[in-house]
Amino acid sequence: MADQTTAIQASGLSKAFGGRVVLRPLDLDVTEGETLALTGANGAGKTTLLRCLAAVLRPTSGQVRWFGQSAASSPTARRLIGMVGHESRLYPHLTVRENLVFSARMYDVAEPARRTDQLLGSIGMSAHAHRFPTRISHGMRRRLAIVRALVHDPPILLLDEPFSGLDEEACGWLLGLLREMRARGRTVCFTTHDRQKTADLADRVLHLAGGRAEETRAAEATGSQEAPLKVRAA
Amino acid sequence: MAAKLWWMIHKDLVSECRARRVWPAMLLLGTVVALVFTVQMDLLPTEKRRMVGSLLWLAIFFAGMLAIDRSFASEREDGCWEGLLLCPISPTAVYLAKLVVNVVALAALQCVLIPLFIVLSDVPLLARPGAMLLTALLGNLGIAAVGTLLSALATAVRPNGNLLVLLVLPLVIPIVLAAAEATRLIAQGDLGAPWWRWVQLLGAFAIVFVTAGAVLFDFVIED
Repeated sequence: MADQTTAIQASGLSKAFGGRVVLRPLDLDVTEGETLALTGANGAGKTTLLRCLAAVLRPTSGQVRWFGQSAASSPTARRLIGMVGHESRLYPHLTVRENLVFSARMYDVAEPARRTDQLLGSIGMSAHAHRFPTRISHGMRRRLAIVRALVHDPPILLLDEPFSGLDEEACGWLLGLLREMRARGRTVCFTTHDRQKTADLADRVLHLAGGRAEETRAAEATGSQEAPLKVRAA
Repeated sequence: MAAKLWWMIHKDLVSECRARRVWPAMLLLGTVVALVFTVQMDLLPTEKRRMVGSLLWLAIFFAGMLAIDRSFASEREDGCWEGLLLCPISPTAVYLAKLVVNVVALAALQCVLIPLFIVLSDVPLLARPGAMLLTALLGNLGIAAVGTLLSALATAVRPNGNLLVLLVLPLVIPIVLAAAEATRLIAQGDLGAPWWRWVQLLGAFAIVFVTAGAVLFDFVIED
């Protein structure tokens, strides 16, 4: 059996805001190349878990590792992940192109301008490169937010409800993109309410309720081989 | 890190030049305060030279806080703050970039206020330009170092509030006093040992507060 690398490892991860426990302690291993879907009702803790896995939210307890590197150890470890949140995170007074070039520079991408032009071309937005984010549609901003998370070609991609606000065409584009990432062996973790997308994309599904995580086998929906249970309460 | 620092500074300066949200208000407030101070106070020339340092640095402090207060607010409003935190850059680099932008803002303010004070008060502040430049630079550094750190804290606690001046005032008073005294001595043409002591004090404050800001910033921005 091929040796599988753990892309994301969370140990004893929990989060409380004041006295309110949002995420109860859990251990989670996501294998390299796996696509994990986080599902659950509003307020279940999906975004909190995703943000802890991205190390933008400091957990109350536990730690997160990306390919064995502690997420909190060094800023350079952040090159391993790309994250797409609810907001587009585009600077309103920088053009579309300037926003991407800035991100590319922050991630030490070689030839940031060329990489930016390549990405804009891949999403059909070259013509909008010199427009400001406030002058483009919400769907275009979402696409930009997604490609910006990919500007440095990270091995791990974390997406918070990536399909929200996208029209049918954009959803199709994103589905294709995520399938391509899966084919390239990238690790993807996304939150969603959409069961169909979950079934289409996910190897494993983690269902959150009341801050507790329970794995639902995606095999039941996709018909593929069963994945071993890798989620347990800490 | 130096390249990333430069691009963060560049990003903020370009954004401000295009948005023109903060600096015009800062310059206007500084001008109004300077006008009120200088026009309303009918003083003898010797008294003006004694008072000009205090008035100048009061105007710089109040107007400068407008710019410093917005250092992080705009990033948080546009959802970009988290995007910046996701990047592989140390929090210290983010702090230093914001610090430099705030120092530039204060310098731009002084480029307007100092000539205004010279014209309205007839006080030779630029008779010794090197001394005035050194005093202004160290004063800016100290005020911006404290203001940048506490702006991050204030924005995290109350994003749309006006906590910053309350938080900054106790820490900035010694810097403003030292800068005001050094400026008074420049206006009076006395660049001896007393002036040098005030400048050394300003330098010490600048070193301490910049270092403290760089070290503490990571804890201040912790979510």
